[in-house]
Amino acid sequence: MSDKLLELKDICKSYRDGSGKRVILDKVSLTVGRGEFAAIVGPSGSGKSTFLSVAGLLLTPDSGNVLIGGKDVTDASKSERTMIRRRQLGFIFQSHNLVPYLTTADQLAIVQEKSMREKVKIRELLSELEIDDCRDKFPSMMSGGEKQRTAIARAFINDPDVILADEPTASLDAERGRLAVEMIRNEVRKRNKAAVMVTHDTRVLDLVDVVYRIDGGRLIPEAKSGEI
Amino acid sequence: MKYALKEILYGRKKYILIELLLILLMFMVLFLSGLASGLGRAVSSAIETMDADSFIVDDSAEQLITVSSVRTSVLDELRAKGIQASPLDIQRMYIIRDGHSEKLNITYFAVEAGSFIEPETIEGTGLAASSARDPILLDDDFKLDGISLGDTVKDPATGLSFTVAGFVDDRMYGHTSVGYITIDSYTRLRQASDPMYEHIPHAIAVKGNADYGFEGNGLEVVPKQKIIEKIPSYTAEHLTITMIVWVLVIISAVIIGIFNYILTLHKQKQFGVMKAIGMKNTELAGMVISEVLIISLFAALISLALTFSMAAAMPEKMPFYLEVPNAVTVTAAFVLISVLSSMLSVINISRIDPMKAIGGGEE
Repeated sequence: MSDKLLELKDICKSYRDGSGKRVILDKVSLTVGRGEFAAIVGPSGSGKSTFLSVAGLLLTPDSGNVLIGGKDVTDASKSERTMIRRRQLGFIFQSHNLVPYLTTADQLAIVQEKSMREKVKIRELLSELEIDDCRDKFPSMMSGGEKQRTAIARAFINDPDVILADEPTASLDAERGRLAVEMIRNEVRKRNKAAVMVTHDTRVLDLVDVVYRIDGGRLIPEAKSGEI
Repeated sequence: MKYALKEILYGRKKYILIELLLILLMFMVLFLSGLASGLGRAVSSAIETMDADSFIVDDSAEQLITVSSVRTSVLDELRAKGIQASPLDIQRMYIIRDGHSEKLNITYFAVEAGSFIEPETIEGTGLAASSARDPILLDDDFKLDGISLGDTVKDPATGLSFTVAGFVDDRMYGHTSVGYITIDSYTRLRQASDPMYEHIPHAIAVKGNADYGFEGNGLEVVPKQKIIEKIPSYTAEHLTITMIVWVLVIISAVIIGIFNYILTLHKQKQFGVMKAIGMKNTELAGMVISEVLIISLFAALISLALTFSMAAAMPEKMPFYLEVPNAVTVTAAFVLISVLSSMLSVINISRIDPMKAIGGGEE
C-alpha cells in the first residue's frame, strides 16, 4: 500500500447560493502520509467541514480526485464508499454522537468488522484509552470526556488507515480536549496511520505535524512540525 | 435483532406504552375474530361438524336444505352403488321442558339412528342405543336451560314428547341449538299435523366422491361449504365481521408502522452518524425491521394469551369460537403487515444523508 494514505488532488466544490454559485473549495490539494497528523484551521464557513466531508467520502467533489491508500475512490459507488468509510476511515465527530441505547462495548461491536475481532480486542482498546470501566455504561452514564474517548475508540475499532476528526475538542474542556487529541496522535504514531483534524482550537496545534489554513476556498500550509 | 432488543429495553417506558396500545388493538382484533367465528358457528356448526362431504338436494332449492326434497329412491340408488349416504331433514321448531311453559327454540335434525351423520354424544347414549320410543340428542347448550339426561321435552305444536337420550357438543344451526331425532320420530312429528305425510328427505348427506351422476335429474350435488354459505344470514354476518377483523388488523399494523416512522424521524442524526461510520442501509433497515418484529410479535403473543384466557372465562351462551389456526392466521397477518408497514421507515433511512453527522449538535 502507498505511504500516501490520503490524497486530495485539485478538489473543487461549490454550492448553489440563490441564483449564483458559492465556491467553497477551489483546487484544494492535500497529501497526508503514513504516521502524519495534519490539522486544518480556518474561520467558520471557510469550508473546513466540506473539506473533511470530501476526504471522508460523504460528499463528492465537483472535480478533482480523492485517493485513499493510493487508490482513486472519487467515483466509487455509494455502497463502496460506505465500506471504505467502515474499513479504512475512522471518524471522530464534534459531538460524541454515540448511540444512546448502546453500552460502550456495543458502540464498538456494532461497527466492528468480523475480520477485525481478532486484531482489535474491544477490552484492550478500551484499556488503552483508559475507559475500561465504561465498558458496560450507556452514554447517559458517562462524563463528556469518557463519551469522547468512546467515540475515539469507535473510530479506531476497525484499525483504519486514515483518521478524520471534526472539531474533536469542541465539546470538551481544555484539559480533556488536549487528552483527546493526544489519543489521536498516539494512534497515528503507534500504528503508523494518517490523521486529519479540523479544529478551531489553536491550543492543541502543537500536537500535530502540520497545520493548514483554509481560507477563500484555498488550503495554505501554515506551519510544520517544530514551527508550531 | 440484538441491537433492536437493546433499544427497546433501554427505552422501555416508551415501548411499554406502544405495546399496551398494540396489545389492546390486537386483543380487540382477536376477540372480534372469535365472535365472528362464534356467530358463524352458531349458524352452521351442525353442518360444519357433520361427517359428510356433500349433500344431494333438489336443484330448485337454491342449495338450501330446508326447502329441498329428494325422492327416497335416490338413497337406494346411492347405497346400491356402495356410496355412504344418509337422509337428512332440518326443521326449526320449539320445545317445552316437561312441567314448564317456557318455549325453547330448537332445530330438529332428523337422521337415521346410528348413521354416519349422527354425532357422537358427550353424555348419554346415541339414538340407536336408546330404549325410548322418541329419543332426542340435544346440543349441550340446552343444559343451561335446566334440561338433564332422561328429561322429557315436548313439541307443543304436535304434543309429541321426546326423551333426552344424550347431549352433543357444538351443534347449532341458524342461531338455534340442534336436537337430533330419528327419521321415525320426525315422520310422527309431521304426521301429527298432516296425517297423509310420507317421509321424503330434505337432502341426502354423502361421504366421499361428489360425482354421483344425479345432476340433470332435478338434483344437484352441493359441497358442504356451499351448503353452509347458503344458510340464511351466514354469508352476510360472516363477511361483515370478517371485514371488520381484517380492517382492524391492517389499522393496528399500520399504527406500528407510523410509530416506527415517527421514532425514525427522531433518530435522523443518529442514523446519519451510523451511515457516516460505515454502517450499511441494509444493517440499519435490519435494525428497524427487527424492532417492529419484536414489538408486533410480543403484542401478538400477549393478546393471544389474553384472548384465550378471556374466552375460558366467558359465559357459555356467548357465541365465541376461536380456533388456534384462525388465531395464528390473524396474528401472523398482523405481524406481516406490521413488518411491511415498517418499510416506510426503511425508505426514510435510505434517504438520510450521512452528512448529518458532520457539524455540532447532540442527539
